[in-house]
Amino acid sequence: MVAAAQHPNIELMTYAEVENVAGYVGNFEVTIRKKARSVDPTKCTGCGTCWEKCPTKVDSEFDLGLGKRKAIYLPFPQAVPAVPVIDREHCRQFTRGRCGVCQKVCPAKAIDYDQQDEIVTEKFGAIVVATGYELFKWEEVYGEYGYGKYPDVITGMHFERLNNASGPTGGKIVRPSDGKEPKTVVFIKCVGSRDEAKGKSYCSRACCMYTAKHAHQVLEKIPGAQAIVFYMDIRTPGKAYEEFLQRTVHEGAVYVRGRVSRVFQEGDKLIVRGEDTLLGRQVEVAADMVVLATAMVPSSGWEGVAKMLGLQTDKDDFFQEAHPKLRPVETFTAGVFLAGACQGPKDIPDTVSQASAAAVKVCQLFTQDELATDPMIATVDESICAGCAMCEKVCPYKAISMKTITERVAGKQVARRVASVNGGLCQGCGACSVACPSSAMNLKGFTNEQILAEVDAVCL
Amino acid sequence: MPVAAEAKGWEPKIVAFCCHWCAYAGADLAGLNRLQYPANVRVIRVPCSGRVNPQFVLRAFQRGADGVLVAG
Amino acid sequence: MKRVGVFVCHCGTNIASVVDVKGVAEAARSFPGVVYATDYQYMCSDPGQELIRKAIKEHRLDRVVVASCSPRLHEPTFRRTCASAGVNPYLFEMANIREQCAWVHAKDKEGATRKAVDLVRAAVAKVCRNVPLSPGTISITKRALVIGAGIAGMQAALDIADAGYKVVLLDREPTIGGNMVKLDKTFPTLDCSA
Repeated sequence: MVAAAQHPNIELMTYAEVENVAGYVGNFEVTIRKKARSVDPTKCTGCGTCWEKCPTKVDSEFDLGLGKRKAIYLPFPQAVPAVPVIDREHCRQFTRGRCGVCQKVCPAKAIDYDQQDEIVTEKFGAIVVATGYELFKWEEVYGEYGYGKYPDVITGMHFERLNNASGPTGGKIVRPSDGKEPKTVVFIKCVGSRDEAKGKSYCSRACCMYTAKHAHQVLEKIPGAQAIVFYMDIRTPGKAYEEFLQRTVHEGAVYVRGRVSRVFQEGDKLIVRGEDTLLGRQVEVAADMVVLATAMVPSSGWEGVAKMLGLQTDKDDFFQEAHPKLRPVETFTAGVFLAGACQGPKDIPDTVSQASAAAVKVCQLFTQDELATDPMIATVDESICAGCAMCEKVCPYKAISMKTITERVAGKQVARRVASVNGGLCQGCGACSVACPSSAMNLKGFTNEQILAEVDAVCL
Repeated sequence: MPVAAEAKGWEPKIVAFCCHWCAYAGADLAGLNRLQYPANVRVIRVPCSGRVNPQFVLRAFQRGADGVLVAG
Repeated sequence: MKRVGVFVCHCGTNIASVVDVKGVAEAARSFPGVVYATDYQYMCSDPGQELIRKAIKEHRLDRVVVASCSPRLHEPTFRRTCASAGVNPYLFEMANIREQCAWVHAKDKEGATRKAVDLVRAAVAKVCRNVPLSPGTISITKRALVIGAGIAGMQAALDIADAGYKVVLLDREPTIGGNMVKLDKTFPTLDCSA
């Protein structure tokens, strides 16, 4: 992370969103909204006085509600850049029009309540889409696990935060409900994944391994603890993965093959009722905490990204690669590449490999000085173009404009307007050729004559 | 088509205009997944469904197609 | 007079186990403009492409049709083959008899073969009306935008930057790091995620 921040060739634009993408491979024009942080990054030293003194506490999104943050905050202590933002929805200065504490205490005079979103347009030759994943919203559909009403039924990501040394509990695994150390932790795999009835049909790929890791961590950190994993299948097809799983099993993790039918509270305990399909009988565990391995789904906002970049998505809304085997990081938009879980659920090793592959594709493009363009674009027969501009209206890429030509007619110079195609912008869709009433517009490679000949041939 | 001929296993002749970027890709995907469908469809690849001139559709009917599908 | 060559690919058994490839080549010989038609196991392989180049020379072909997989897969391959034998790469068409024929009509061999013949006929009809095209050129802005600064975004940005190109690494959150920085130790090596 620090390596990316310190690299002389990398410019960070955090708290920023892409608003529009125009242009084409080698020449994208991207409009970016730099959201107002309300903090001047050129002055801020990241000293932390502002968030220490800020009187407003809200749930930390970063800690998935397990911890609190202030209204002016860094998501986590090691954030890069170490420049806080003001959450204007909760900051008293914005909600009630008075407070100003952070501005008063800031020794660098970096707080700027009047800062506005900044819109910039920048040129790029290539775009890598790495918008990632979020977790399946299990609370909405899994009634058998309590629809999220039991605080000690958490997701793997919550467990990561509890377990993280810089997390809300300083790395202690405790129950969110009462802060007690759990002795029996039940893990349920395939929550939202491999479940066509309630969730997604696909396997989320990383869960078997992170659940093994979680079970290992429970056994390692909590003396005398029990880790019980309910699974459908165990999938460990990576280098050193199966060995890792076996290590966890040898440490004492109990793997039970079967689905959990119900989780419910009984006093202090969460009763987990399920089936052991290998023994062929019902099992019941009185657990202190239940951790769900929820499916990865595309990061919210994928629709906007897909629309701006002309990306296709698969049935589960992950971005579609140009070919599942042979072109895994390319998209059908030239110059736009995919990396990571936005293309499908992935673990870290696979994500890193794919990101490097996408980087190579970008470099491959950049090693060339000029790019050959597809010649299958629209063309105008100026001699019969009536200059009606119907084509200009229908062109989705703004590639057609009208120009004036002069020609000799009966010995006199006559000027008239005709359509003209910009070869860099034309994507070869051919909408213009259909709109053209005089057939002056045609599409090279897919001419009217060619397509009619095909129709005739298949109808024989 | 007379009823008698239909009874003898007559099948319609269908011409499909498929957009290279979506419907044609979808037809390829159907192949990759080995989804089976009747063999009486003839796909003509177009760069966009917007490329399909109504004239192409009429021509297909004129030449004896029983159905035309524009997919994109 | 046009001189079209038709090359029917078996794709191992992918096509040949359903479509009568020899029958398709035979039928193609009767299409207007076709002066040569043959079939081969793997048209995209080196020997397959060499077969096309040789036929172009020997039969003075000026247009080529390959009946094989989807043009979305190998159209660029065969266009290069044509170009290397002196035929303009846009005087080339493909008939998709794998994804849209053999693979989807596996149980109807006759129907699939009839369809393959029709698809080749259409490709031949089209190629006879093709004209030579040549690509234009555009300049390249050698600067990349990476949208999302999680593991994938950071890795891609670092690799591109290390190759000497400028990168903008963008994220909608106030910090880079994505989901990764929420994680504790990561499998299988249990090293930290930051």
